[in-house]
Amino acid sequence: MKFIDLLRTAIGNTFRSKARTVLTVIAIFIGAFTLTLTSGIGTGVNDYIDKTVAAFGNDNALFVQKVSEQSTPGSNEGDGPTEYNPDEADVRLGFGSVSGLTDSDIDKIEKIDGVGSVDPMYLVTPKYLESASGKKFKLSLGSPPEADGLQLESGKAPERAKDEILLPASWVEPLGLGSNQDAVGKSVKIAIGNAMDQERTFTAKVSGVSQASLAGPSDNPIPSAGLNKKLYDYQVSGSPKKVPNSYFTATATVDDMSKVGAIKSELSDEHMQGRTVEDQLGMFRAVINGIVWILNSFAIIALLAAGFGIVNTLLMSVQERTREIGLMKALGMSGGKVFGLFSLEAIFIGFLGSAIGAAVAVAAGSILSGVLSNGLLSSLPGLSLFLFNPVNIAAIILSVMFIAFLAGTIPAMRAARQDPITALRYE
Amino acid sequence: MAAPVLETENLVKIYGRGDTRFDALKGINLEIGKGESVAVVGKSGSGKSTLMHLLALLDGPTHGVVALEGRPTGDLSAKELNELRNSAFGFVFQQFFLTPNQSVLENVTLPLKIAGVPAAERKRRGLEALEQLEMADKADNKATDLSGGQKQRVVIARALINNPSVIFADEPTGNLDSATSKVVEDILFGLNRDKGITLVVVTHDEDLAQRCGRQIYLVDGEVVPNLPKSTSGVGGERGGQPGTRPASSTTGPLQVTEPTTGAIVTLSEADAAEIARAAQEPPRAGRHAAPSTTDQPGATA
Ligand SMILES: Nc1ncnc2c1ncn2[C@@H]1O[C@H](COP(=O)(O)OP(=O)(O)O)[C@@H](O)[C@H]1O
Ligand SMILES: [Mg+2]
Repeated sequence: MKFIDLLRTAIGNTFRSKARTVLTVIAIFIGAFTLTLTSGIGTGVNDYIDKTVAAFGNDNALFVQKVSEQSTPGSNEGDGPTEYNPDEADVRLGFGSVSGLTDSDIDKIEKIDGVGSVDPMYLVTPKYLESASGKKFKLSLGSPPEADGLQLESGKAPERAKDEILLPASWVEPLGLGSNQDAVGKSVKIAIGNAMDQERTFTAKVSGVSQASLAGPSDNPIPSAGLNKKLYDYQVSGSPKKVPNSYFTATATVDDMSKVGAIKSELSDEHMQGRTVEDQLGMFRAVINGIVWILNSFAIIALLAAGFGIVNTLLMSVQERTREIGLMKALGMSGGKVFGLFSLEAIFIGFLGSAIGAAVAVAAGSILSGVLSNGLLSSLPGLSLFLFNPVNIAAIILSVMFIAFLAGTIPAMRAARQDPITALRYE
Repeated sequence: MAAPVLETENLVKIYGRGDTRFDALKGINLEIGKGESVAVVGKSGSGKSTLMHLLALLDGPTHGVVALEGRPTGDLSAKELNELRNSAFGFVFQQFFLTPNQSVLENVTLPLKIAGVPAAERKRRGLEALEQLEMADKADNKATDLSGGQKQRVVIARALINNPSVIFADEPTGNLDSATSKVVEDILFGLNRDKGITLVVVTHDEDLAQRCGRQIYLVDGEVVPNLPKSTSGVGGERGGQPGTRPASSTTGPLQVTEPTTGAIVTLSEADAAEIARAAQEPPRAGRHAAPSTTDQPGATA
């Protein structure tokens, strides 16, 4: 028997006892539907994280911070008090200080093998932002390099040399700036104190308005690099004694990402910690993937149950078709072809269930995604909860067909072994 | 007698072993010539079907040889046996074994499909075969929608489609009323006469047996010479044309000779009585009785 005839016959046979086939197909449908949806969530969310990572700028950036020794459990120094070091630079905050990176730390980072350039980040702590109408808002600033990767509603990123600032979309209305487009070009004031607690205001022009994102830095206004440096310089001025330069964090550009591990361990020897964007989002990604896998395992259990449905369906079919199988064997069909026929029936049932399941899941997921991005998830533009990757869907359908084939081997073997004489004697 | 298409030598078939051992055939020697029509007659359980299955290469003997056109078949592989059955034989069973959800044409062309013949040629040859049996107009009908006689014609068309050299018919009319039986018999003997297809008919219907050129009588797995019958007369006067039938070397009851010794087998009186009863067994008695068992839904019709 030719393969095409075998396939045609198999497909014809699956529709012979419709009710039974439909029930088995439904069982497979449920599994494939769930698997497609969860895989869609996985793809959707991970895609969003990737976009967000892109928004952070380079994925070869390593964000380096000082680790205060007390808070490093397991460091070799052991317990007990740490000796005072006058050279250690503290970053002064309104309520105290944290250990910052010194200029010598920056040098050390630069010397590590694999590190290209290092840009220290100035920690600027302004007092407030004042709108044109004189209303004051609490203010913490984002870091200038972050502005590059952001999706903008209007305008553009602040220019390095100009006194410009990028505002999040959610700030536009409270500041009385009108629409996102109107805001561009308007001015706001930033007040900041120095070491002597003398307050001064700086004027900044709104260069653009940024979109909100799930994990991005755009919740805060981002000044231009120049403005940021100006604010910093004023913040550390006025002190009777020279304050050593101190940076909350520095961005190291890694030339060769394969060396990231080594660089991180060298940093930690120097009481510094380096984190890539991926590290920073790692937790989030892990949680999402965990949820996706829990849902996937439910779907796989459903598919295994459906596999037993196939075994059952085909065993009944073999039973009912004893004489037909006997006749085919009497007429010269080999056991191998009989096995092939029943296997193809199993595979076809698997294909029906998984293809319909995947198609319905894609339709449902796409509609749901659309509804959610205009509703519940509208605050996260760029997130489509379900994203369907053709390769994943093909993989799901093929795996289900393979499960179906495995399930079909038991009945197919029974059919193949059938003795034509016994079958033909059957009365 | 023409050159033998089928021969057996000391054919023995034993089912089971030990306490359940059953000797279904106890050393059968026979020759069936090309173009002959042979009836295998015996009462239920005498081993007729078993003999037919061995001749048709559906089963292997416990001992002995089945030779097809002079070639012993014992050493053939399963694949070669499958191909031989597919190309050389046609089968007609008491039960129709038609696949219910398929069309008449699909049922008829099943042997060609198994042989791997392309669909277009299958259709052409299928319609041709149905034409011969005046069933071409039913080609697209479901096999289940036919009457018993029509179904058996479809079965004969299926048996014909591969231009077989031998058609095996196991109780071909066991399920049909006598008028339809006669039509089906006429078709089978017509094929034998016109196309020279060898016919091996298993039956316990003495009238059908008498239409064949030769009768082989089985009692408990052994061949016995037939007994002259007082009631049914000699030969096949009921519509048969003995003179035109090929194969048969005698017009009367055939005396079975022991091929090795040439001796004519004689029977005891008890055996003779037994055979007479077997020969008179009503056509639709015993295990092949109720027609209702043959048309089970969901199974082959
Ligand atoms: N597979 C088998 N196992 C055991 N006994 C069998 C088997 N097949 C047939 N028989 C026995 O062999 C004998 C001959 O059977 P069969 O050839 O079908 O007889 P017939 O066709 O003449 O009615 C019967 O007694 C039957 O019970
Ligand atoms: Mg029988």
